[in-house]
Amino acid sequence: MIIAIAANKNNLKTLVDAHFGKCNWFCLHDTETHQSSFIENPASQNQENAGCDAAGIMLDKNICMAIAGRFGSKVVDVFRKNNIQMVIPETLQTISEIINQIK
Amino acid sequence: MGRIKKDRLIQMAPHFCGFKPQGLQCKTGEDVCINFEEYEAINLCDYELLTQAEAAKLMKVSRPTFTRIYESVRRKIAKAFVEGSCIQFEGGNVAIAEWFKCNECKITFTLPENANKHCPFCKTQVIIENN
Repeated sequence: MIIAIAANKNNLKTLVDAHFGKCNWFCLHDTETHQSSFIENPASQNQENAGCDAAGIMLDKNICMAIAGRFGSKVVDVFRKNNIQMVIPETLQTISEIINQIK
Repeated sequence: MGRIKKDRLIQMAPHFCGFKPQGLQCKTGEDVCINFEEYEAINLCDYELLTQAEAAKLMKVSRPTFTRIYESVRRKIAKAFVEGSCIQFEGGNVAIAEWFKCNECKITFTLPENANKHCPFCKTQVIIENN
């Protein structure tokens, strides 16, 4: 299962980004191999539709779960239709803390 | 008796109760009540910058109805701003989309269709529905 986590910078010590569409990086974590990789979010600077573009890229990566501080309404719509689980942490947590919780 | 209003779909209720004006010695006027559909309307239109047609579709109402809701919330906000009234979020004819909460992991999440009802992190089945 591949999990996408919205991240501010491309390292595991950074905090989970507050907004799914506008984050600079996505951390893709594979729960089977325990490998994490980072990809840049090309939609981060978009004024409009940042969320939808990012969601489209994430769907291409076959993710099963997305984690971010907030999801826009369009993204929620897209993810619900594609049966992808969304998770919103209520406290500020780093990427590695989140990954440790999933195990 | 009027027709019963159709439920408007909103993704998430606000996680706080309202606003208070700063630096007022005594309370002036009545509180302004903004209901959840109006909160969602201003969120979709002015925070997420959707067009009214797109926003109406997400809330499952017609475009003219959406415009009415949006107009009403703008007037209420203006009234509260000018008169220095408190804003309360409450009520409305809404259906809130399904979200779940796990108190153990402090997360809010959705469940995929046909999935077991458990927290994605700690797998406990003690989860709370909708905020």
